[in-house]
Amino acid sequence: MRTGTLLWAGLEVPQEEYLHPGHLACQGCGAALAMRLVLKAVGGDVMVVLPACCWTIIDGPFPYHALRVPLLHTAFETAAAAAAGVKAGLEVLGDTRTQVIAWAGDGGTFDIGLQALSGAAERNEDILYICYDNEAYMNTGIQRSSATPLGAWTTTTPEAHPEDRPKKDLMAIMAAHRIPYAATATVAFPDDLIRKARKAKGIRGTRLLHILAPCPPGWRMESERMIKVSRLAVATGAFPLFEVEEGTRYTLTYRPAGLPLKEYLKLQGRFAHLTEDQIAVLEKQVEARWKELLELHARTHGTVEDIPVVPFGG
Amino acid sequence: MGSDSMQDLPDAPLSWGDTRWNKTGNWRHMRPEVRERAAPCAKACPLGNPIPKVMTAVSRGDLEEAARLLLERNPFPAITGRVCPHPCEVGCNRRRYDEPLAIRSIERLVGDWIQEHRTVYFPSETGKRVAIVGSGPAGLAAASYLRRQGHRVVVYDRNDRVGGMLVDAIPSYRLPRSVVEREARALEQMGVVFQLGVTIGRDVSVEQLLSSYDAVLVATGAHGERRMGIPGEEHFLGGLEFLRAVRRGERKPPGRRVAVVGGGNVAIDVARTLVRLGASPVILYRRTRKEMPAIEEEVERAEADGVEFQFLTLPTSAVKLDGYLRLVVVRMQLGERDRTGRPRPVPIPGSEFELECDAAIRAIGEVAETEFLPREVLDDQGWVVADKFTGATKRAGLFVAGDLVTGPATVVEAIAAGLRAGRAIDRFVRGEALPVQEKPLPTVPLKEINLDYFPRASRVSIPELPLAARCKTFDEEILGLDLNSARGEAARCFSCGSCNLCANCWIFCPDAAIHLDGDLPWVNLEYCKGCGVCATECPRGVITMKEELAREGAVA
Ligand SMILES: Cc1cc2nc3c(=O)[nH]c(=O)nc-3n(C[C@H](O)[C@H](O)[C@H](O)COP(=O)(O)OP(=O)(O)OC[C@H]3O[C@@H](n4cnc5c(N)ncnc54)[C@H](O)[C@@H]3O)c2cc1C
Ligand SMILES: Cc1ncc(C[n+]2csc(CCOP(=O)(O)OP(=O)(O)O)c2C)c(N)n1
Ligand code: SF4
Ligand code: SF4
Ligand SMILES: [Mg+2]
Repeated sequence: MRTGTLLWAGLEVPQEEYLHPGHLACQGCGAALAMRLVLKAVGGDVMVVLPACCWTIIDGPFPYHALRVPLLHTAFETAAAAAAGVKAGLEVLGDTRTQVIAWAGDGGTFDIGLQALSGAAERNEDILYICYDNEAYMNTGIQRSSATPLGAWTTTTPEAHPEDRPKKDLMAIMAAHRIPYAATATVAFPDDLIRKARKAKGIRGTRLLHILAPCPPGWRMESERMIKVSRLAVATGAFPLFEVEEGTRYTLTYRPAGLPLKEYLKLQGRFAHLTEDQIAVLEKQVEARWKELLELHARTHGTVEDIPVVPFGG
Repeated sequence: MGSDSMQDLPDAPLSWGDTRWNKTGNWRHMRPEVRERAAPCAKACPLGNPIPKVMTAVSRGDLEEAARLLLERNPFPAITGRVCPHPCEVGCNRRRYDEPLAIRSIERLVGDWIQEHRTVYFPSETGKRVAIVGSGPAGLAAASYLRRQGHRVVVYDRNDRVGGMLVDAIPSYRLPRSVVEREARALEQMGVVFQLGVTIGRDVSVEQLLSSYDAVLVATGAHGERRMGIPGEEHFLGGLEFLRAVRRGERKPPGRRVAVVGGGNVAIDVARTLVRLGASPVILYRRTRKEMPAIEEEVERAEADGVEFQFLTLPTSAVKLDGYLRLVVVRMQLGERDRTGRPRPVPIPGSEFELECDAAIRAIGEVAETEFLPREVLDDQGWVVADKFTGATKRAGLFVAGDLVTGPATVVEAIAAGLRAGRAIDRFVRGEALPVQEKPLPTVPLKEINLDYFPRASRVSIPELPLAARCKTFDEEILGLDLNSARGEAARCFSCGSCNLCANCWIFCPDAAIHLDGDLPWVNLEYCKGCGVCATECPRGVITMKEELAREGAVA
């Protein structure tokens, strides 16, 4: 086992791994990488609670397990409730240190697990809830979820009837619960992801990380483009990176690099059917969301000038 | 796990084993290959300077490491860092993206650091003796290499100072003499012996050297000045002669208005020197600006200095009148291309005009003087014949290098030739086979650089004397970078083909199958699923995906 740290973009990142190789994720899985990075950020003193999702499979078949920390499998709709229960149990045992992480997919968060999440957030349970968002029910064969973006193909939103509702605004829902910390992140920006995870770890109460985790088979793209797509999601503005503290204080991490949305869409087969007009509609939607977010940032900071442009060349 | 009763079952099924038994390497059909490749800058550099590695060290502020890396290839970075026409910057991938790296300025910074922090190196003696004729860059580079190998090295030069063209031709506002002197002194401290004021061929013959040394390197440059062959030629000064006089302290211009004939570096240096002496030079060149063989940057500087250019002109005669010269000049036009691919200038009949000036200087090219060499190493025209790589001639133990072989070229080419000859001589005196040229590494083109990681950034601006001031002095006109600007500039380097341990491949691997303990990443092929993320995200083309052919221990 390697110890010590390596510098990545100026950030010390531990070499120690909490994710064993041999796990069952597909080639280039963003969800596997998200787990690897989060555990590097928060360290080994954690328990993971996992509802049904791809990660159920990734972790390995009984009696094998891919993490070096304990993981409790639980029912699809129960991540937040089960995590809160585990946390309460640990406290009864006198363990106040161990972080309990609920690790759920977008289906398990935006859809079926939303009620449990809302309840836990409303009670401000001391859990770190992480939604790795691959924007569909991937484990069961790419069915749409309420996190599936407008216009995307899934097996239940075929090309003839692509997704016709915008992605549900999870961050707004969580902000409305006034939880102490909620943030978005994605795997192409590991420094940002790690900093946010560490920050969340240092706060008590319900904390939420919403991590965009590209899924090469589900997004119909080459596995080697996984990071590229994640980066373009941020560079084009499609997936804004930001933090919300106490449900009201908004801080945008980066502003987009001024790249057309198309650069993000064109790498993914799930958007291949879109016409120019449809892309224009998506662009409008992204713009409107940014306008809203910039206002929220300005309301907190009095300016938007302090938001750095996402580091991006090309 | 057999159990006989319900009591044996745990309350909940527990997985105690981990997944490492599952060798996911057998999912793979593409394999990441970690292999460093040449950067285009290094490929364009005649010395093959390890530029990306140097840039990485400089960007970290580690000049000691930068110096170590650079000295492996270039013995005199303080010199090339000033006068090299920097083909590296032309090759730089960043040039095709925004602006090339200021490689030469950074080389100079490292070179100056070396001059200040040098420690003397005492090699262990082999007892072999090598004579080097000519103390220009070719001879000095060979001397440096051969001395480091432990051979006794004696350098002969007919001049009274060490450096060849570096101290006798290239003007001091571009290369101060002190910079060359420091290198000469360091060689002396290492044990190189200089015999100055000795003309080989007159005072001592090449044959005598061959009989008293184990090997001889002749690197006497190209010092014969070409003549125009026109009536009144005797009224023209030689360009090299003029520059040499100025380098020796002459500060009186040969006249106020001075015609300079030629379009190469010598003509430009002559004209810019004249400006600094208070004269008004006019360059007469028989082709157009586009065909000038001089270094483009130097032409621009000459223009800024106020040098006048008359293109497509050629003097056909000169007469000396009362205190001034009258040149007859014919206008030219460009005709068909000649063997060198440049259009041939042809006189326009009847276009002659007169040009009056106080003096005229001819700088139309230099040729090597070879009469003092043994006949057997010359061809019918009197050119030296030698192996292009090693400099070995037909005569055993006699090697040649530099401008003597190539005709007027550049300092860096002379250093490279001197080092190649030095390596060959080292083998020769040890009785080993001469080295052969290695196959060059493939380079990394811009399209294999992951530009996502490199926001556009402009090149550092290099400090220099203000125009008005530089035209009045022989002080160095281009100044050095400070460490901070150099670090920032070096950080612009893509590090094409050279791993700089950025750790992208490591951090982005979803299978935790890449480790970074040494100088290069190590891919654990037992688990690597072949997703290709590392290859795409390596910003610099060190990792590429290769088709998986035979897979050891594959599970079908
Ligand atoms: C005006 C001018 C400007 C230049 N500017 C640049 C520039 O900016 N950048 C660049 O890269 N290149 C430049 N060059 C070219 C560069 O200087 C030469 O290519 C380089 O110096 C050649 O090195 P060398 O060692 O082969 O020969 P040289 O530097 O010519 O050295 C040869 C030495 O041999 C000695 N010698 C000759 N014959 C004998 C003999 N018979 N016995 C003993 N000693 C002898 C000479 O005295 C001399 O010291 C310039 C050249 C000139 C003339
Ligand atoms: C109550 C219930 N309904 C349906 C399922 C089947 N099921 C297992 S995983 C899954 C999809 C999970 O989607 P998501 O949460 O987005 O995670 P992903 O698989 O995409 O990583 C479904 C529908 C289940 N396990 N339990
Ligand atoms: S970017 Fe750096 S490594 Fe690449 S060609 Fe330019 S100087 Fe060389
Ligand atoms: S990604 Fe970085 S660390 Fe990995 S091989 Fe390329 S340069 Fe080296
Ligand atoms: Mg999902």
